[in-house]
Amino acid sequence: MKYVPREPRDGINVSKTHPLAEAGTLAAGLSLIFVLVVLVLVLMVELALLLVSPEAEARVFQDWQPGDLVAVDADDQRLARVDALTQRLARHWPESPYRFRVAIDDSELPNAMAFPGGLIIVTTGLLDRVESENELAFVLGHEIGHFRNRDHLRMLGRGVLLSLSLAVLGQGSGSGLGLTIADFTLRGFSRQQEADADEFGLALVYAEYGHVGEASRFFERVADEYGGDHGFYEYAATHPSPEDRIDEIRALGRQRGWTDSGPLAPLEW
Amino acid sequence: MSGGQALDLFFSIGFPIVLLVFAYLIGSLIERRHFANIRKRESALRGFPLTTFERLPERWRVSNAGLVSGSIVVSLDYFKRVIAGLRAIVGGRVKTYEPLLERARREALLRMAENARRAGYDAVVNVRLETSRLANAAGNGNGTAGVEMLAFGTAVKLDRR
Repeated sequence: MKYVPREPRDGINVSKTHPLAEAGTLAAGLSLIFVLVVLVLVLMVELALLLVSPEAEARVFQDWQPGDLVAVDADDQRLARVDALTQRLARHWPESPYRFRVAIDDSELPNAMAFPGGLIIVTTGLLDRVESENELAFVLGHEIGHFRNRDHLRMLGRGVLLSLSLAVLGQGSGSGLGLTIADFTLRGFSRQQEADADEFGLALVYAEYGHVGEASRFFERVADEYGGDHGFYEYAATHPSPEDRIDEIRALGRQRGWTDSGPLAPLEW
Repeated sequence: MSGGQALDLFFSIGFPIVLLVFAYLIGSLIERRHFANIRKRESALRGFPLTTFERLPERWRVSNAGLVSGSIVVSLDYFKRVIAGLRAIVGGRVKTYEPLLERARREALLRMAENARRAGYDAVVNVRLETSRLANAAGNGNGTAGVEMLAFGTAVKLDRR
């Protein structure tokens, strides 16, 4: 046997595909698949909404609360008052399948959220800013409106999608199913969903007080406080901008012939 | 859009993209230069036999022998890692890793052969390649800090070939 020197053959172990072509193919293909999967899942969420009755939902989630809720003390008097106000407002929606519950999240940022099973969470930041019961009533009425339209479940469905897709991409923890307050702030409802909830909330306020005065006062206050910059302002991340909203609420009140002057109920805490 | 929001957006989306482009440009430059360097050194070592024989050919008369080795540790760049991450979703050939491992193999063999030649040997027989993964301490040992490619064999000094 004779040794014949040869140079190693180049590139036999290396694919000819350019790395950028590989990157482009993968990114485009996966995006397409991702979009299709999301579309299918969104349809499935809508289908599930038709199949799961509000009664069944209320039963399953009756004692549930988000894992990252920083609850205030159970004997905090605000809890009892907000709860009582919610129950009074809910009386004007007698066919409601939900038994509403209230929890207060100890957070500086003003926000209010609707969670499955009739759970309404308001932050201490919101309670610090409202000055009359009427203001608070509209915020609560708005959240009750989300329950009537079952927006909270739609959001939940989208939350699951978001968590799943983040988990697939290896970004998120993959632990949550979109059921935390932190997840909530990543999303929001559509403008139409918000407008519908506003309309229902305003109707509840009118039914309770006989007028809609000060209903939009809370939004005027936050609009003043935050000016045009809603960048890190949580309520705006999940709700329409306060300025637009104030106008819409007033227009709606006028259109329905609901007077906006009347005695205000004080908040006692 | 406020300044804060812009900054936030930059750190969540812009920064990874900048890093990706940077990693791709630097990574492919280094890769090209490494391959050029490997080819040059392989040419220089032409005629220096590296074989996987476990036994010497009959006619070789060996006057001296010893263990020689060459090793290299390689790591991924961010671009390769991201593309391989996408690839891992659907499966298939991880094409961005192939040139990296090819470089590691050839570099390890070259270092071994260069060691052997410098020590005055004429050939290396029974050449073996081994790979081991270096765990990343920062990532709880889950991530990979890099891969070591080790080439070793028996270098022989020949009286007559």
